[in-house]
Amino acid sequence: MERDDFALMDDVRNDREGAFEALVRRYQRRLYRLAFGYLRNHEDSLDAVQEAMVKIYVARAAYRPTAHPFTWAARILANHCIDLLRQRRSRPTESLDTAQGEGEDRAPRQMVSNDEPQQARQERKDLGRALNRAIYSLPTNQREIFMLRHFGEMRLEEIASARGCALGTVKSSLHRAAAAIRDYLGACDPPIKYPARQGGEAR
Amino acid sequence: MTPFGCGRARRAMPLRYYSALLAADREWLDRHLAACRTCASEWEALRLALDAAIPSTVFPMEAEVDWDRQARDTVARARTAAAAARDGHSAVPLPGAVRRPYFTLAPAAARWAALAAAVLVAVFLVTGWPGRRAPGPEDVSSLQGPGDQPTAESVRESAALIETRLARRGATRYLTDSRVLLLNLVQAPARCRKADGEFDITFEKEKSRELLRRKNLHEGNLDTLRDRRLSDLVGQMESLLIQVTSLGDCASARQLHELREEIETRQILLRIDLLTREMQEKTHVV
Repeated sequence: MERDDFALMDDVRNDREGAFEALVRRYQRRLYRLAFGYLRNHEDSLDAVQEAMVKIYVARAAYRPTAHPFTWAARILANHCIDLLRQRRSRPTESLDTAQGEGEDRAPRQMVSNDEPQQARQERKDLGRALNRAIYSLPTNQREIFMLRHFGEMRLEEIASARGCALGTVKSSLHRAAAAIRDYLGACDPPIKYPARQGGEAR
Repeated sequence: MTPFGCGRARRAMPLRYYSALLAADREWLDRHLAACRTCASEWEALRLALDAAIPSTVFPMEAEVDWDRQARDTVARARTAAAAARDGHSAVPLPGAVRRPYFTLAPAAARWAALAAAVLVAVFLVTGWPGRRAPGPEDVSSLQGPGDQPTAESVRESAALIETRLARRGATRYLTDSRVLLLNLVQAPARCRKADGEFDITFEKEKSRELLRRKNLHEGNLDTLRDRRLSDLVGQMESLLIQVTSLGDCASARQLHELREEIETRQILLRIDLLTREMQEKTHVV
C-alpha cells in the first residue's frame, strides 16, 4: 500500500496519464476530513482540499520521496487551512454558531437507510454530535493528532513524521485525547448509546 | 488487584487500543483486564468511544459529496493552474509547505500599486474626471439646456439638491459611526474594573453623547431628508444612543443583553448597512 503511494507519486511527477487523478481519488476523502478538522465547514473543506491538490500538482516536481506522499499532502493542506483561518479571523464572514453547527444536524445519506428505525437514526446522530463536541474540546495538538490517526488513517510513525515530532509525543497526545474523549462521552446526559460493536482494536 | 495496578492499566488502555504497547505490557494488561471488572468495563467504554470515532459518524456530509465529480474538477483546475504557472502567470500560490521567499515582496508591492492605479481609474471613470462631472439623474445641470441662463426656479432646485446631498452625507456618516459603536457594544464590551457592573461602557457612552450632539447639529439638514427610511432609521438610532447614555459606566450583562435584543429585533445593523451603501451610491451620483 505504502509502496503504491510512492509509486503513484512518482508517476504524478513524471506526468503519467491518469496518475494525478488516481492520487486525487485516493487522498481527497482523507484530506477532506483533516480539512474539516480545521475549518469545521463542509464547503470550505471541499474547497480547501481542491486548493491543496492543485498546489500539490503545481509543485509536484518539488516532492522528495523522503516523506510519505500523504504526509506531504497533509502538510500542504494544513498550511492552507491555517492561512484560511488567519484570513477568517481578520475578516469574519459568518458567525461561530453557523460554522460550528454545520454538518452536525444533517443525517448522512448513505449511512442512513430507509429501513433504519427513527430511534436508531436519532441515536446515531446524537453520537456523531457528541463525538464532534468531544473532539473539538481537545487542545489543538491533541485534536490534530487524533484526527490524523482516526480520519487521516495514518500510522503513528507517519503522524510523527508529518508533524516533525517524536513518536513518544504522538503516543502521549493520543493517550490524552482518547482518555478525554472517553470521559467526555461517559459524562453525557442522557448517556450515549453506541451502535453494535464493529470489532476490536484499531490497526 | 492493587489500585496501583488499576492506575497502570488505565494509562495503558489507550496505547493498547492503538496497538502501541510493548508485547510484555500488553500481556500484563490482558491478565489485569481478565481479573479486574472495573478496568474491564473501563476498557469496554474506551473501545466503544474510539470505535465510534469513524468518518461516517463524525463527517456525515462526506457521504453526500459526489467524489468522482470533485476529483474531475480538481484535476481540471490543477491542469489549468499548472499551465498558467508554466506560462509565467502564477495563478496558484506556492504550496503552503513551501514558504514564500522574501523576494516576492517586490512584485507584491508592484501589484498593490497597479491595483491602486486601477481603482483610481475606475473611480474617475464612474464619477467623471476632475473638472468634468458626469451628469446624474438628479444633476441640476442636466435640467438646463446648453447656454440657458439659470432661472430663480433652477437655483432653488439646485439649492434643494445640495441640501439633500449634504443631509444624506451627514446621515450616512452618522449612521456608519453609530453602527461601529453598536458593534463595539454588542460584540466586544470591555470588562469593568468596578465591582458594581460587568462591562465597562464609558467609551461607548462618551461616543454616544458625541453622536447625539452631531445629530442635533445636523438636525435641520436631516429633517429635510426625502428618504423616509433614512430619517426613520436616524430617529431609531437616536433612541438607542439615548439608552446607551442613560446606562451607568459599568453596565450589567442583562442591560447589554436587552440592548442587543433591541438591536436585533429592529435589525438595526443590517438596515444601516444596506442604507448607507445605497446612500453612498446616491451621493456618488449626485
